[in-house]
Amino acid sequence: MLGRRSFLTAAGLGALVVALPVPALADAEGLVPNVFVRLDADGRITATAPRPDSGQGVRTVVAMLVAEELAVDLDAVRVEQALGDPVRYGSQAVGNSVTLRQTTEPLRRAAATARCLLVAAAADRWGVPREDCRARNGFVTHPRHRRLPYAALVADAAALDPTTVAVTLTPQAEWRVLGREAGRIDAHDIVTGKARYGIDVARPGLLTAVVARPPWIGAVPDVVDDSAARAVAGVADVVRVAAGIAVVAGSAPAALRGRAALRVTWTGGTPTADSRVWLEDLAAALPATGPAPGPVALEAEYRLPLLAHAPMEPMNATADVRPDSASLWVPTQDPGRLRTLLAQTLGLDPAMIRVEPTLAGGAFGRRIETDYVLEAVACSRAVGAPVKVLWTRDDDTRHDSYRPMSVHRLSAVVDAEGLPTWRSHAVSTWPLTTAPPFANPAVVKGSGDHFPYTVPGAVTVGLTPAPLRTAYWRAVYAGQFGYAEECFLSALGDRGGWDQVALRRRLLPPESRLRRVLDVAANRARWSASRKRARGVACHLDYGSAIAVIAVVELEDGVPRVRKVTAAVDVGPALHPSGVRAQVEGCVMDAVSTVLGARITVRDGQVVQSSFRDYPWARIDRAPDVDVVLVPSDAPIGGLGELAYPPAAAAIASAVAVATGRPVTGMPVNTDVG
Amino acid sequence: MGTHRLRVNGSWHEVDLPDDTPLLWALREDLGLTGPKYGCGVGACGACTSIVDGSAFRPCTTSVADAVGGDITTIEGLSRRGDHPVQRAWVEQDVAQCGYCQPGQIMTTVALLAEHPDPSDEDIDEALRDNVCRCGTYARIRVAVKRAACLARGER
Repeated sequence: MLGRRSFLTAAGLGALVVALPVPALADAEGLVPNVFVRLDADGRITATAPRPDSGQGVRTVVAMLVAEELAVDLDAVRVEQALGDPVRYGSQAVGNSVTLRQTTEPLRRAAATARCLLVAAAADRWGVPREDCRARNGFVTHPRHRRLPYAALVADAAALDPTTVAVTLTPQAEWRVLGREAGRIDAHDIVTGKARYGIDVARPGLLTAVVARPPWIGAVPDVVDDSAARAVAGVADVVRVAAGIAVVAGSAPAALRGRAALRVTWTGGTPTADSRVWLEDLAAALPATGPAPGPVALEAEYRLPLLAHAPMEPMNATADVRPDSASLWVPTQDPGRLRTLLAQTLGLDPAMIRVEPTLAGGAFGRRIETDYVLEAVACSRAVGAPVKVLWTRDDDTRHDSYRPMSVHRLSAVVDAEGLPTWRSHAVSTWPLTTAPPFANPAVVKGSGDHFPYTVPGAVTVGLTPAPLRTAYWRAVYAGQFGYAEECFLSALGDRGGWDQVALRRRLLPPESRLRRVLDVAANRARWSASRKRARGVACHLDYGSAIAVIAVVELEDGVPRVRKVTAAVDVGPALHPSGVRAQVEGCVMDAVSTVLGARITVRDGQVVQSSFRDYPWARIDRAPDVDVVLVPSDAPIGGLGELAYPPAAAAIASAVAVATGRPVTGMPVNTDVG
Repeated sequence: MGTHRLRVNGSWHEVDLPDDTPLLWALREDLGLTGPKYGCGVGACGACTSIVDGSAFRPCTTSVADAVGGDITTIEGLSRRGDHPVQRAWVEQDVAQCGYCQPGQIMTTVALLAEHPDPSDEDIDEALRDNVCRCGTYARIRVAVKRAACLARGER
């Protein structure tokens, strides 16, 4: 049944609009957010994607959910992207792998409500019991009556009192769209170049800005001579922004030429900062852990580097700020919070601010932040025209908010069989400067510590102030904690002569989801029949999902190459199987990249790397064969976007250790991390 | 500053830009062809890859002056209906995640297949090694390249 606060209205000419409150999304301010499904008078179906898509496929799943519950084919549903509006939609954040966990039920219910109203309208017209009618392929049918298309029922359905109609969700056993293979709804636009990202936004009179950024961390402009920059053809203005000096011009190349002509001296900051020193400082700050209950069998330390997000589409945002209103086009992971922030920044009523989330060319946590958006706002405000701020790849790599460095010291006590009976994990790292709650070690521990095995022990987190901007990065602290813990467990298994899968099976509850996926992965990868290969295995339980990953590595001229990765994953019902596999495949490539070479270093106060040349994200010739097995379960829908990264990294690193005979000491493996 | 006469996707265009302006900005800003993506500006990612006289090239490191005289095809000009065999294979294999690099991956593949109608894994590695996909769609790209080769040969 519909809740008391549910409502249904006719909008426009006989359109049926289902707008349901989403109690699960209502925040502390008591807002009543809604998600929408709209049927126009001609029967056309429009679904609103409440959260942005940066490649994780949320738009496609939104279409699938609505198509399923409205009993139509996937291509009958058009998807509109919701503008930033936390009043209407509640949280619109894409992060912590929550999108489908939080939006699946309300979207299904909205579409199911529309279907049940259409059925009721048809039954009433025919004078037959509602339960005798069915919705199918865009029609309502009855055994003895002619079928009616949705278009013929929209007006009647919109006039019904929704509280008199029982709403039922389509049972999973009857799904025709969800759980089936389907391509991304934006695929045709992508392969024809029509897909529009933030960087592609075009507006009348649009100017482009690029920002001269500090040559070392924390530097601020001292003396600025912009005469040569202003003399460059096409340059419209030079504007001070938070990070540095923006050159605003009629085109991107003119702005870049103007920036090159800018003469700025910089002051302050940390011109001698060095990430090798930071790493030693972190190691020295490792927190003490409690006394071990027996002799420590193994102790190991792991050192992890800075990582940049490096999405393919560099940071950019377009703003058109007027005296009493503002319009923004932004590849963002959180359009709702952005609107709230801009209302505060500009002193405007949120209703006067339009935030349109564009497609984003990757995000990985970077686009939760707002620094690049505020630059566009500052420029537009200063010049009184719409401005797109564009970050070059160099800007994007050198001025990111990075995954924090970390040092992990793990130790264990074992029994006579070599099985761990106690463990300790001391972590020394930095908070996330862009997410204040992470200044609390307990919050960092909550993000990172998902050790799933039945081994008691202690995890202790020590935080020291971050020397540069740090932020969410796919899997957040679980990427570091999980890596260290699984690498250590593998080292412990080797010490005790354990088969790595057998060891983990012993340490997992017999009926657990994790043990089930571990068995599936081991079976699929023919674990017991491939003992001569260099293999690694790791598990992860997070976001309400469970995964086991097995990696096979070979040496090619002494260089580790990941040949095969097998993953078994339980996300509850896999709504979009191709999308589930894609997220795992993506996490595997992040793991290949970060374990085997990509890292950020700082020398003389500056990030050394500047592009994909020296931040060597893996290419196709380093891509392993990835086999993803979906293990269905009755569990609620789990999160997925980040799940596979920690175990994939650990499994690969452990396999490299087997192949090379050198223990894992950090990330990337066999590299001077700092 | 000069007038440059460019042949792009079968038609002629004139742009007034300094000689050393990267062709990528002329395509994106002056011609409105935003399919070729800005990813790095230094030829290190392949997101802008297009085709000139049958060969894959990087508009971000080609000046407008140097582009004069070439017959240029961007992703927008690859096919009228988006049904080039490579595009069909990409859709069929559900390759894209964010999709930002895919125009470049596709154009590189078109040039590859012109030279190697039945490419080996080594041919694919060689041709696509300089195209970065940050989402990690490489395994699907490999399958789609082989599938496109089949489609181009008229196989089902």
